Amino acid sequence: MENGGSEIKRWRFKGNEGLSRKSRVTIRGMLHMLNAYLDSDDTRPVVPLSHGDPSSYPSFATTPFAEDSICTALRSGKFNGYPPSAGVPDSRRAVAEYLSKDLPYKLSPDNVYLTIGCSQAMEAIITVVARTNANILLPRPGFPNYETRCAFSHLEARHYDLIPENDWEVDLAAVEALADENTVAMVVINPGNPCGNSFKYEHLKKIAETARKLGIIVISDEVYGHLTFGNNPFVPMGVFRSITPVVTLGSISKRWLVPGWRLGWLVAYDPDGVLAEQGILNSINGFMDTSPDPTTFVQGAASQILLDTPSDFFPKVINKLREAAEICYDHIKEIPFLSCPSKPEASMFTMVKLNLFLLNGIEDDIDFCVKLAKEESVVILPGTAVGLKNWLRITFAIEPSLLDDGFVRVKEFCKRYSA
Amino acid sequence: MEKLKANGASAIGKWRFAGNKDLHQASPSTTRSILTTLIDNLDSDESKSVILLGYGDPSPHPSFAITPIAEDAISAALRSAEFNGYPPSAGIPKARRAVAEYLSKDLPYTLSAEDVYLTIGCTQAMEAILTAVICPKSNILLPKPGYPYYEARCDYEHIEIRHYNLLPENGWEVDLVGVEALADENTIAMVIINPGNPCGNAYKYEHLKKVAEMARKLGILLISDEVYAHLTFGNTPFVPLGVFRSIAPIITIGSISKRWAVPGWRIGWLVAYDPDGVLAEQGIIESIKGFMDISPDPTTFVQGALPRILEDTQGEFLSKIVNNLRVCADICYDLIKDMPSILCLHKPEASLSTMVKLDLPLLKGIEDDLDFCLKLAKEESVVILPGIAVGLKNWVRITFAVEPSSLEEGLRRMKVFCKRHTSKSM
Repeated sequence: MENGGSEIKRWRFKGNEGLSRKSRVTIRGMLHMLNAYLDSDDTRPVVPLSHGDPSSYPSFATTPFAEDSICTALRSGKFNGYPPSAGVPDSRRAVAEYLSKDLPYKLSPDNVYLTIGCSQAMEAIITVVARTNANILLPRPGFPNYETRCAFSHLEARHYDLIPENDWEVDLAAVEALADENTVAMVVINPGNPCGNSFKYEHLKKIAETARKLGIIVISDEVYGHLTFGNNPFVPMGVFRSITPVVTLGSISKRWLVPGWRLGWLVAYDPDGVLAEQGILNSINGFMDTSPDPTTFVQGAASQILLDTPSDFFPKVINKLREAAEICYDHIKEIPFLSCPSKPEASMFTMVKLNLFLLNGIEDDIDFCVKLAKEESVVILPGTAVGLKNWLRITFAIEPSLLDDGFVRVKEFCKRYSA
Repeated sequence: MEKLKANGASAIGKWRFAGNKDLHQASPSTTRSILTTLIDNLDSDESKSVILLGYGDPSPHPSFAITPIAEDAISAALRSAEFNGYPPSAGIPKARRAVAEYLSKDLPYTLSAEDVYLTIGCTQAMEAILTAVICPKSNILLPKPGYPYYEARCDYEHIEIRHYNLLPENGWEVDLVGVEALADENTIAMVIINPGNPCGNAYKYEHLKKVAEMARKLGILLISDEVYAHLTFGNTPFVPLGVFRSIAPIITIGSISKRWAVPGWRIGWLVAYDPDGVLAEQGIIESIKGFMDISPDPTTFVQGALPRILEDTQGEFLSKIVNNLRVCADICYDLIKDMPSILCLHKPEASLSTMVKLDLPLLKGIEDDLDFCLKLAKEESVVILPGIAVGLKNWVRITFAVEPSSLEEGLRRMKVFCKRHTSKSM
């Protein structure tokens, strides 16, 4: 049975070009490519400095309390049915209460929509604001899932720069120059992926003011919320809700180290009803109604996880991240072939510039990472994947000893290619 | 700081963002919203208990309680700490393998794990295949009566819908002559729901074979929604459409939601039957993979629990569910037979619900099915789904998968309601 068979001229169905994976730049795709270069004869352990998911490392294991919460919800028998489309009410209330702890007001559960991780929250807001001829402002370097989602929704992506010499702050002048009458929103990732930065209060306020001036929504991706260990504490964008309409995206994935549990949220801050009047809230509801839902009993565990996790769990994780970030930064300082313009103070990553002029026989960041994988069994994400060619995104959230080992190998590697 | 105002005020001329109209249109046509409207119509002063015979979710009822084995499987997967990370986009390999093995039990061959994609319930599997086949000007054949989520999804994706009839006098079989007349060169696929929702029927082997042959003749993709697989309790056993994979390329979608009564666990699958590589050649497999890559994933530890759930659940539990459904279907059929103004043309033999016809001339002051359901909700606190929601005006869908005592009470009240509204001339 094949096309051209005697009974029918052809099969009438064919694939959707919009889903083609060919032109997509994804982190997964890039890492898949690099992993293929690993040398199976190398007896040394592979050192992955490329993931956003440290949950397989003992230093970054979740708390048994979170597991207990899931089991309690499961065994209650109350969460086996379909959940309501915006989320189980008690869980929305819990997220509102949790987020309100960092806000100067009380968030209403009505503003909270439960999603399948932060990823689906991102899918929701991009789908909601996409329309013909519209464009959105994304950070560079950034998180390529935004670009992929925008392409799929036919929303034009324009990139504004983050300024490395300024601790990766947003180039607000560039934002204003980029925007036009078709710009609908700007995405900010804070704490930063891939830069490992945490925006200051004043800077976030300026971002909000710029958005207001341009008449656009600020979409604040706060999936790394609270994972800061430097001088700048985490400030949620919701603090500035009276300046411009804000939509926040978040989840339990990073702070609780459970990305596989797939529980996140989209929060619409709309004190003056602008999002409502412009039809954004209706659209969010429409999206929720026609989209998959997070597992009901995982939602059911939200209240316990978010509000009752023993407080000693969080500093433990922060300390581990701080320790790893220090190891990472100290090593980089000793490798002249790499420059880190801004010491990581948040999330799990840092952006590092390749001083190619000091290296011989390395073409670019991708070439560096391919050869590094092949020769040293160390996997680092090339900056091209996140929008900055000839930079690297280094993940430091792994066991400290493995991190050390990895950097020793990176140093050796660079020396070998030294010009 | 000056209050933000909607378009027309503040520092700049106007706000530049607006909602996505496609999303507004999609939601009202789902069953959920229609049932919500009916529930809003309940009389809050009425002391009668509310009886819901409208939801396809038996999990709240003790007769359909889940098996502890499933809970244990989840707990074990969670505690193993092996499943806290992001899953691969097509699903974790051992779960895909387990689904392939599970489905192969009912097939004359062994499915490969590579043909299985794990999804967030059957719902996301449906989304995946519909998204994978979209192309401009194409149309898709959907059953009438059917499951309105298909219509909502097709509307949202701007796929033209054409409805083929299911024939009530023929056990709700597909009107194949009608299908052939409906299809044209832009028809790309046909959805069949077996066992049937909302009709409660199970298609015979011979009929399914004819459906496959028709799909081949028309050159279209068959999408078989088998979310109610194995929930048959009449004379016709469940036959998976995959049995006919050598006749036409097939996509099957399913989940554990109904058979294990855990729709909230959100785990299902899409399976591609493509022995001759047609789906691959036509780019369908690439599209499915592309969809999986950018779409949300089922919770990793629920995937991790799937092998145990599928392999270790006792036959006793699965039979118990089917027996309880049989008892309820019998109660439903017997009580409906006793109502002159309601006609059940085909005794339910599968899934959780049945379609019955309203004899409107016998019902005084009842305009149509929606009116019937609104008044029934208000006067008797019984909620059933108007047939318009599933494409058949002046029919109603009764979900019988509830506690037998509630079902009896609900149908007893429906009989009282019908009597009350019977024309004086009868």
